[in-house]
Amino acid sequence: MSYHKPIPPKGTHTLPFWEGTKAGRLMLPRCVDCNRVHWYPRHICPHCHSMNLEWIEASGRGTIHTFAVQYMAFGGWAQEVPFVTAFIDLHEGDRMLTVLRGVDPKKPEEIRVGAAVQVEFEQADESTFIPFWRVVDGSQGGA
Amino acid sequence: MPGQLYKAAAIVGAAESNQIGFLETPVTSLQLHIEAIRNVCDQTGIPISRIDGVFSTGWSTELCEHLGIKPKYIDTTAVGGCSFEMHVHHALAAIYSGIIEVALITHGENGHSARKIGNGGAGNYARGGGTQSPSHEMTVAYGLAGAASGYAHAMVRHMHRHGTRREDYAHIAKVSRDWATLNPRAAMYSRKKHPFGGPITVQQVEESRLIAWPLTILHCCMVTDHGGAVLVCSPRVARSLRTRPVWIAGAGEAMGHGNMLEMEDFTATSARQSAEAAYTMAGMGPADMEMAMVYDSFTITAAITMEMLGLARPGEGHLFWKDGRAAPGGSFPVNTNGGGLSFNHSGMYGMPLLIEAWRQLSGTAEDGIHGDPGKQTRARSCVVNGTGGSLSTTGTLVLVADD
Repeated sequence: MSYHKPIPPKGTHTLPFWEGTKAGRLMLPRCVDCNRVHWYPRHICPHCHSMNLEWIEASGRGTIHTFAVQYMAFGGWAQEVPFVTAFIDLHEGDRMLTVLRGVDPKKPEEIRVGAAVQVEFEQADESTFIPFWRVVDGSQGGA
Repeated sequence: MPGQLYKAAAIVGAAESNQIGFLETPVTSLQLHIEAIRNVCDQTGIPISRIDGVFSTGWSTELCEHLGIKPKYIDTTAVGGCSFEMHVHHALAAIYSGIIEVALITHGENGHSARKIGNGGAGNYARGGGTQSPSHEMTVAYGLAGAASGYAHAMVRHMHRHGTRREDYAHIAKVSRDWATLNPRAAMYSRKKHPFGGPITVQQVEESRLIAWPLTILHCCMVTDHGGAVLVCSPRVARSLRTRPVWIAGAGEAMGHGNMLEMEDFTATSARQSAEAAYTMAGMGPADMEMAMVYDSFTITAAITMEMLGLARPGEGHLFWKDGRAAPGGSFPVNTNGGGLSFNHSGMYGMPLLIEAWRQLSGTAEDGIHGDPGKQTRARSCVVNGTGGSLSTTGTLVLVADD
């Protein structure tokens, strides 16, 4: 496997998320009692403090909340500067961090807060598929 | 005769995590914490949302973030196994003083499980989540490295919301450097002291190399070595000393999040809440302040903080520097030591803020060497605001000069 960037350690309560990524599904934790989605995965609902949580399959759609262009990075990412990081407002609620695809890091003024994005997964090792988000908004062009 | 704190508070409940002992299925410290907290709240009937003080030996903000609560008293005293008894002592004082009503003292330590899932079996004194923090797990893949990489996202959102340009914030770096040129202790005092020291222009700030767009290196604080200490005493002791006291009129603390992933509003920090607490305690407001010492890890940090402290309207914090009010000779001096941008910043800049605020209000801000025009202002009150983590936590002080 040629993936040289950090691979997340897997927690004890986040396995449904990682299992989902293997099948190309974005799984999100939702509270059975208050029905709200939260991210990152908790042992307890951060909204109503219920411990009655479930996993749902998300649409994989979202929008850019904000972004930045990284010129300093370490490890495997150091070879990829500049790259664009972004916080994604998930269609189902709450927010996820990502490295954005389908944008030109040299033209940050062309990246639009609010642009539509779609999740995709990259295999990093036998058991890890990492979610990344791609701009699908027509006005962004493609790369 | 009992002391003032005698029966000032009571322990009202106690519970454990769902399982304790040599657990077959490994658990994280975080899970042990959360189960115990859920259980003690069920036992007492106190909703988790009513907890307004959190005491643990872990990174207490991470526990609060996981719970989705934002207490106004946060304590991470971690000095070994006796820490929890000390937590009770600290909670007692905080409750007696009226700052909080419900203190959570919490422990979760996977001493056994850690041998299976990492951390060398040493337990997790240092962090609530131990080696298995889910916020770390869900962010580590994406190449963020250091504070600038995160803070740049706040700057983009702030610019997006307020229609500002990067150059607006560059004035903060330029003016802070002007202050540093009046301070021989500042790392960037002069070109003689440091090859990149001495005065800079807004254009130089803009054209310096990119760290995390839109932040150029001169929008970022330095990383230096720095040590500092302050003493806080009772009025009786303070009056007996050879130094001039600076009085603590108000204090407040608050948190928004731990990980930037959980930052609700990228254009605001919890300084709005910590400042409100400090102003209320002082019986004073922003209009009563005559100077400010604000954390300037980045230009954007200082700009947002001025807005949160009620000194500027949202989107207008940077104007203090752009129109010269914050500059040497200006009507409202800010960061008179040169700030983290040009004085010193070792990683945690809160101590230099305190030292300079004391020097200004005690009339000792003049170093009296090199025949410099000097940085001593005539301010009699100062609002001090520290920002921690990734725009996560804030502590605000209202300090006033002695009469």
